[in-house]
Amino acid sequence: MKRSFTVVVSAAIVAALSPSLSAQWALRPQPGVPKGPDGKPNLTAPTPRTSDGKPNLSGIWMRTERAEAPGSQPAGRPPLATFGNIGVGFKEGLPYQPWVADLLKKRANAYDNPDALCLPQGPLEYHLDPQPREIIQLPQKIVIVYESNYGIRTIYTDGRPLPKQGDPQPYWHGYSVGRWDGDTLVVQTNNFRGALTNMPGDGWLDGKGDPFTDALTLTERFRRVNFGKLEIDVTIDDPKAYTRPFTVRVEQEIVADGSEMIEFICHENQQFLKLTGRAP
Amino acid sequence: MNIKTAVVLVGIGLLLAARPVVAHHAFAAEFDANKPVKMTGAVTKFEWTNPHAWIYIDAKDETGKVANWGFELAAASGLMRQGWTRFSLKAGDVVTIEGTKAKNGSNNANAQTVIVASTGQKLFAGANQGQTP
Repeated sequence: MKRSFTVVVSAAIVAALSPSLSAQWALRPQPGVPKGPDGKPNLTAPTPRTSDGKPNLSGIWMRTERAEAPGSQPAGRPPLATFGNIGVGFKEGLPYQPWVADLLKKRANAYDNPDALCLPQGPLEYHLDPQPREIIQLPQKIVIVYESNYGIRTIYTDGRPLPKQGDPQPYWHGYSVGRWDGDTLVVQTNNFRGALTNMPGDGWLDGKGDPFTDALTLTERFRRVNFGKLEIDVTIDDPKAYTRPFTVRVEQEIVADGSEMIEFICHENQQFLKLTGRAP
Repeated sequence: MNIKTAVVLVGIGLLLAARPVVAHHAFAAEFDANKPVKMTGAVTKFEWTNPHAWIYIDAKDETGKVANWGFELAAASGLMRQGWTRFSLKAGDVVTIEGTKAKNGSNNANAQTVIVASTGQKLFAGANQGQTP
């Protein structure tokens, strides 16, 4: 059987079996959700817009569970990334600098994954985590609250330039500025901490440990295709870790059934350090 | 597509379907996939917490010795999205848990299935952490 067929069939099964958010406690009506003739949310309704006519990205978003075989993406579209491996769609793998091979060996059992350490996740871990994230679009800034590990990120859209490297202290989330290119929000981020600090949890792009460094300039192109779908093309330009820039696609789906973000205090009952021998 | 292929695909589907709540922690750093464990015992404590919920039971190990064992589940937030609550299990309930032992040799494991002995009800279905892909 052909691999692509397996992927398609598996994806269909996944879609059919994925747990429904409606299993949560009593849901409240969610305003602003367009409804179809059947009364259900119309996810393909037009993209909502703010009063200034820009697409409104606000909402709670879940990653899609869609996967594809390496190299099978349509021409001209970046391959889909997954939480476990952002490079999964590249037949030849990612364009690592030579030192990265040793680092990946060290990271092989995910011992220092920030996700497990309750530290801020890397930018693509946040985009692809199974827990949702809420985008709050304001006139001068956009705030993203990530439920997993309570990441909070500010994207300034007031026209300020990207700061020079070294101006802010190195940030776990980097320093982000955004501007609109037509209906696409283009966000650039720099001044990351990154893997070269050699601190546990620093500089992880995915569960496999693909690194980023303080030299990373991240470019994210957010496009809300319709009411229900958000596409984010993420370009990693990090000459210290990769020989050339590369781009991956993230897909997210709106939460439209009235379910909410759920409190997630990661240090509440953290056993990871104990189980990995780093705490009594 | 023959039956065998279909079964394999459904298996893959179930595996993937479980993903929305799986990925918090780094399974490989904590648990040994080659050390399966199956135990039955009464619940002594049920911790409805993040980043993982935990079930503690008094159970006999392979040597016949009764000890208190801790089993890690998915995050409470993820379990809640699937409709489970902190009242889904209580101290005294007898459960059979299958999972994977901790690497450090302590009385801890990752729970893959939790079944209530008296009713056969499967709790927290699809909510095990599993190996993150």
